[in-house]
Amino acid sequence: MITFDAVSKRYGERLALDSVSWHMDEGECVVVVGPSGAGKTSLLRLITHETQPTLGTVTVGTFRGGRLKRRHRALLRRTLGIVYEDFRLLSDRTVFDNVALAVHIVGRFADSEVIPRVMRALEEVGLPLKQGALTTELSYGERQRVAIARAIVNRPAVILADEPTGALERRSSEEVLNLLRGIHEEGAALLVTTTRMEVAETLGGRILRLEDGRLLTADGEPTRLPAAYVAPAPAAPSASPGSGHGGV
Amino acid sequence: MHFVYFREMMRSFRQHRSVAVTAILSLTAALILSGLFLLLSWNAHVAIEQIGDRREMVVYLNDDVTASDRDVLIGRIHDLYGSVTYVTKDQAWKDFSAQIGDPSLLEAVGDNPLPASLHIKLKPELLTPDGMEATAKQISQFPEVEDVRYGAEWVRRLDQVARSLLVVTISVLAIAGLAVIMVVYNTLRLTVLTRRQQVEIMSRLGATGRFITTPFVMEAMTEALIASLLALGVLFAAQQTLAARAVSDIAFLPPVGVAGFLGGVLLLTLFASVLALSRVFRSVGS
Repeated sequence: MITFDAVSKRYGERLALDSVSWHMDEGECVVVVGPSGAGKTSLLRLITHETQPTLGTVTVGTFRGGRLKRRHRALLRRTLGIVYEDFRLLSDRTVFDNVALAVHIVGRFADSEVIPRVMRALEEVGLPLKQGALTTELSYGERQRVAIARAIVNRPAVILADEPTGALERRSSEEVLNLLRGIHEEGAALLVTTTRMEVAETLGGRILRLEDGRLLTADGEPTRLPAAYVAPAPAAPSASPGSGHGGV
Repeated sequence: MHFVYFREMMRSFRQHRSVAVTAILSLTAALILSGLFLLLSWNAHVAIEQIGDRREMVVYLNDDVTASDRDVLIGRIHDLYGSVTYVTKDQAWKDFSAQIGDPSLLEAVGDNPLPASLHIKLKPELLTPDGMEATAKQISQFPEVEDVRYGAEWVRRLDQVARSLLVVTISVLAIAGLAVIMVVYNTLRLTVLTRRQQVEIMSRLGATGRFITTPFVMEAMTEALIASLLALGVLFAAQQTLAARAVSDIAFLPPVGVAGFLGGVLLLTLFASVLALSRVFRSVGS
């Protein structure tokens, strides 16, 4: 589902990711733990094509490597559900409108389906009674739950969560993590990045450690690609990295 | 889906009312100025056309032309150059007498010295200085013709005035068009930049370029339409006031002109919108 093949990412002099090879299967839960600046956000930005690898190939579903055209990037992102540490909610809109925006963007559903879909997502995160509130009127924990509702409203196959409890106090963190675990148990793949090991323990998925741009297993060994996902060496000099695209 | 675009546009209007109002007022001012010139230019054009319609060529006939030769000549001129009115010697004398008025002066002239003539209302395609000159030369070749007269210099000057007017009109419209493009371009850039966070979030959620840009384009088009209608309203009021108090002949733009004005402004707005959005999204959207 998500494959990194010898991916490095450099910002000027700084090496954010150092030849990372790693694979995540459908329905899997992976938690990447690492200190601030270890390269966690870069990892997620590479998956969403907000940035490009300096070296190596990132494959997400059938979207493989290279710089995607704008419309293919949009298509890729519509197949993912993303939760940010700072929520990324629109402050001038109600809770309902923030979640409905994701439904409208996907454009797969008739207008009559929007309200039931949004309400179902809000019920899942326990905020149906806050649908008319502006996001600025909510606590941080509630805002993160709105962001989760927005991420799940289109039933994506993968949920990416970048430090989802980073801005929350303990009780809200537990609520958010329970929500994410529930979503994963219903079948969605879940990739969470965090600085806190207890997040990984609560979620209970495969734990990877990111240190100085290197991705390690829980045992401290560098992650490797399963043999089935290792790209064969190019047969001819003209062979180029794949640029295919499609659904996840 | 279209309702979503409309709601996004209305939201932007509400939240950036001062930017929208400033854009509408700036556009209205630019459009009033250009519309005013268009109106004056249109009226001048109508006046020149009317004067041009009166451009007539007078062909004086030899006294010894027989009736049958004259009729043949009238037929040929009618076919080749335009409608012909025959003025006999007697009619010419009567007209002359009516103009002079004083019988003593007419008695001093003695016999009627005036020739019969043909007054030709030329076909529209011949109503140019060069066309009239060539026509006069050709007609003067007929043996029945003694002389051909038309206001050559006057026609040339009229043509020069019309041409200068056209150049000035095009220049003013070009400047106004540029002003429309600048106002729309800068307003849209400002609007998008003030909604930068929204654009970034939409982009990260997988919104297509069309989903993000359509409300902005609709907003710009609506502002341009409101400004155009305001400008046309002001111009109509000015024309009515002038017509009632000072220049009764002044006319408002014909329906085709109004449609062209609106269509032109909307097309320029669309062009400016596409230009502004493509540039600004290169920096905002990722």
